[in-house]
Amino acid sequence: MTAEMIGLLTILAVPVAAAVVLFLLRGRAVRFAGWIAGASTVISLAAALAMLPALYRGEVPTLTMPWIPAAGIKFSLHVDWLTLPFLVTEAAVTLVAVAYSWGYHHADDRSGAFYGLLLLFGVGMSGTTLADDMVLFYVFWELMLVASSVLILMWGEGERRAPIALKYFIFTHLGSLMVLVGLIVLYDATGTDTFSALRAGITLDPGLTRMVIGLFLVGFSVKMAVFPVHLWLPDAHTVAPMPVTIMLAAAMLSMGTYGILRFPLSIFTRADVASFALPMMIGGVVSEVYGALMALAERDIKRIIAYSSVSQMGYILFGLGTLTAQGITGATLHVVYHAIVKALLFMGAGWVIKSTGRRHITELGGLAKRMPLAALCFGIGALAIAGMPPFCIFDSEWMIFSGGFHTAHIGLSVITLLGSLLTVVYAAQLIIGIFFGSQPEGLTVKKPHWAIVAPTAFLTALAFIEGVFPAMLFDWVAHELPLILGGQW
Amino acid sequence: MVGGNVWVIVPILCLGVGAFVVYLVARLLTKENGWLASLTAGIFVAALVAFVPLAVVTRRALDTGGPLPMWGGEESGSVVLRSDPGAVVIVGVALMLGVLTSTYSGRYLALDRRNDLYYPLLLLMVTGLCGTVLAADLFNLYLFIELMSIAAYVLVAFRRHSRRAIEAGFKYLVMGSVGTLLFLVGVALIYRERGTIALPPISSAPADPTGLWTRAGLAFFLVGLGVKSALVPLHTWLPDAHGRAPSSISAMLSGIIIQSAFYALLKVSLGTGMSARALGGVLIAVSVANMTLGNAVALVQTDTKRLLGYSTVAQTGYMMFGIGMGLYYGIPEAIQAGFFLLVAHAAMKGLAFLSKGVHRFYLDTSTLEELRGTASQLPLVAVTFTVALGGLAGVPPLAGFISKWFILGQVLQPGEPLAYVGLAIFLLNTFLALGYYLPLVARLFIVPDSTAGRAKERVAISAWMAVPLVATAALVIAIGLYPGPWWAWVEGIGPYLLGR
Repeated sequence: MTAEMIGLLTILAVPVAAAVVLFLLRGRAVRFAGWIAGASTVISLAAALAMLPALYRGEVPTLTMPWIPAAGIKFSLHVDWLTLPFLVTEAAVTLVAVAYSWGYHHADDRSGAFYGLLLLFGVGMSGTTLADDMVLFYVFWELMLVASSVLILMWGEGERRAPIALKYFIFTHLGSLMVLVGLIVLYDATGTDTFSALRAGITLDPGLTRMVIGLFLVGFSVKMAVFPVHLWLPDAHTVAPMPVTIMLAAAMLSMGTYGILRFPLSIFTRADVASFALPMMIGGVVSEVYGALMALAERDIKRIIAYSSVSQMGYILFGLGTLTAQGITGATLHVVYHAIVKALLFMGAGWVIKSTGRRHITELGGLAKRMPLAALCFGIGALAIAGMPPFCIFDSEWMIFSGGFHTAHIGLSVITLLGSLLTVVYAAQLIIGIFFGSQPEGLTVKKPHWAIVAPTAFLTALAFIEGVFPAMLFDWVAHELPLILGGQW
Repeated sequence: MVGGNVWVIVPILCLGVGAFVVYLVARLLTKENGWLASLTAGIFVAALVAFVPLAVVTRRALDTGGPLPMWGGEESGSVVLRSDPGAVVIVGVALMLGVLTSTYSGRYLALDRRNDLYYPLLLLMVTGLCGTVLAADLFNLYLFIELMSIAAYVLVAFRRHSRRAIEAGFKYLVMGSVGTLLFLVGVALIYRERGTIALPPISSAPADPTGLWTRAGLAFFLVGLGVKSALVPLHTWLPDAHGRAPSSISAMLSGIIIQSAFYALLKVSLGTGMSARALGGVLIAVSVANMTLGNAVALVQTDTKRLLGYSTVAQTGYMMFGIGMGLYYGIPEAIQAGFFLLVAHAAMKGLAFLSKGVHRFYLDTSTLEELRGTASQLPLVAVTFTVALGGLAGVPPLAGFISKWFILGQVLQPGEPLAYVGLAIFLLNTFLALGYYLPLVARLFIVPDSTAGRAKERVAISAWMAVPLVATAALVIAIGLYPGPWWAWVEGIGPYLLGR
């Protein structure tokens, strides 16, 4: 077994082992649960980054073990340049979410289970990006869903968390089933289960190709929460405990993007996918505008930021739909940068909510003087999401728009640009509503836990650094292009 | 002259004699529940051990292409029992479920009386099951299926003090007897046309039936055995019977009894000359009805065991879909997938009923509402119940998901529009079923905020119940993670039913 294979296994095995330990320790783990979880996410992230040297050498680390030989199903993990940005993003998001939990989650005798489930949620996401085999992919895909549903069900806020968790599960599962049908059709057509066979190129008859691409696109769009299949998102994000919301919004949504890149856009030729380009772009624009308008209308901080996710995913879908090098690279970059900024925004929101005990912007105001650091971080987050330079999202949005202008649909690209104005408006409304204006009656501010402040400050810095020095990430993402649409640009 | 391979009859002998032994022990020595349960479990284990040679011999016969092991007269008309790959699987599953159920009853029956009748009846029911799937002629099949059914009727109505249990048992008795009667009419019609009631191995079955009487006979078989296999619309006895029987018996009924009657249906139809294609077509049509009706009606249930009963109707539909597609298009792997689900379902549904029984025994709950928040009182059972329901819902990596993957993977092989339509219906039903599986799981764990302060005390459950629960849960997870050995076990059934 080479070092890379051990590394691949480590990315998944360490959090799983830690989760098992946490579940078994139950009440006795209260003091250590957070530290165990944190340590395992650090190891997982380190192992993911350790794949870089091999990737730069042009290798593709793979680990294959037999599982169900009779059906040709293998336990097969694999890292390539398409996987890497998503893997690193979600490993990092899991890490900061766990760190944030140290401050946000109230420790009780169910803490072991809480952290264990967070780790399993992270494993589901890592496994999805690493899986090289269809059944394995689907198993991890569902693991994400099951772990996050249980987290919402057990630790969510409010009496309605049970029906909301149910709605989340059922809605997302519908998307998963569509993906499953697509996977089974491919399995049937190729006779094998591994993606490497798919990457070699397959031919199906045209009707079947269109059906499969359509199923994949719709199924993964449910996970990405674009309009109109976004309905699960606002409630689920609002009710979930903040660390879970961070992972949902920053990392899980991008798994849908990974799915679209890995399946329809890598397996089929440009000619097959071309007829779906325009619908994708239109869907992206509609989602963008809709999300922004809804964010404008909401008053609950978490719901505003949740609808902002719907809007940002619209940008990503638009970028993917352009089928241009800039558009797709920009969309992938946007996944990473959106993760940073969305996590930052939710963390800032959690900071405000924990300190003041209030979540509606009508009940907040004028906090800039009393919470200057929070104002700074949250403010940078809002500027970033609005696409202001020198913050990171400006770079990825620039590339998405430029991709759009390279297509024949200039009008759509113009609408996209105008739509980003709405983003500025709701971001401004959010900031002004919380930090400026007059303070309402009875507003008390408690000092926050350091574990709430530190990750937030870190992400603020990262949003700035990535905005000014994006070269490394650009380089990583650019390497994925040869794998998509046959590498013809 | 009676001869042949003795291993074919040994399981039946073991169980049948065991039933009498247990009854005698109960009347003469002790009525102590623990002793009777241990004795019954021991008899099941002995039968299981004695069954292994039968499985080996049958497999060897298939591999070498020799005749299947049989017992009875040497001439074709007087063979009493014949083993085949499907029978081996069903007998094996039944014996394993029998061990688990009888161990579980060691504590579960403590609140009931007349356990001197319960254990012998349980053994007789499984004896009848073994004979049903091993029978080599229609008369013996009738004998054994009646033995199985009558024992089942009495066990369903076991709680005599409950009016609804009596009603359920009575309904099962009436409908089951009508089924048997129709079956007998079918036998008579076949005999009129063929002059024999022998059931040959399917590879030597007569070709397409051309006679009017044979065709009529086949129709009577389908309906008669269809009642016992809970094919929609002949299933109406099932929710009552499985809902009102003691949970341990419901586990057996839903887990393997229905499926054995279904296998008898397959054997009888194909052995009397019905073409695989025709039978496959019928099964596909009925499976759609089973799936849809089972899932739809389960959604509105308020009683837990009735919900599980309708879930059985739906899951039988999934099995029939796989087997039906395999027969219609001649794909042995699809039949294999259907039987894989049969095995997995036995484990999952058995686990679900056994878990539910623990709730009733300690907390006296029966409706879905009463299960709310019981995870704090019975944590182990909440976990096993979740494993069972998650498996039935098809959540990876449990047994149900891999069964559905296998079925779906195989039915797409023909590539015809019918297959895609069937696939869509199958998936829609899986999705629909989430609507009752998930809330049930959620209900176990959620405590309404208004009562959060008053945490309920944990109840310790007896080892008699805990051990079978944990063992079955481990089995469900094992089948899901390592389906290889189980997939190989059901391998021979497909070619056998297709007559190859």
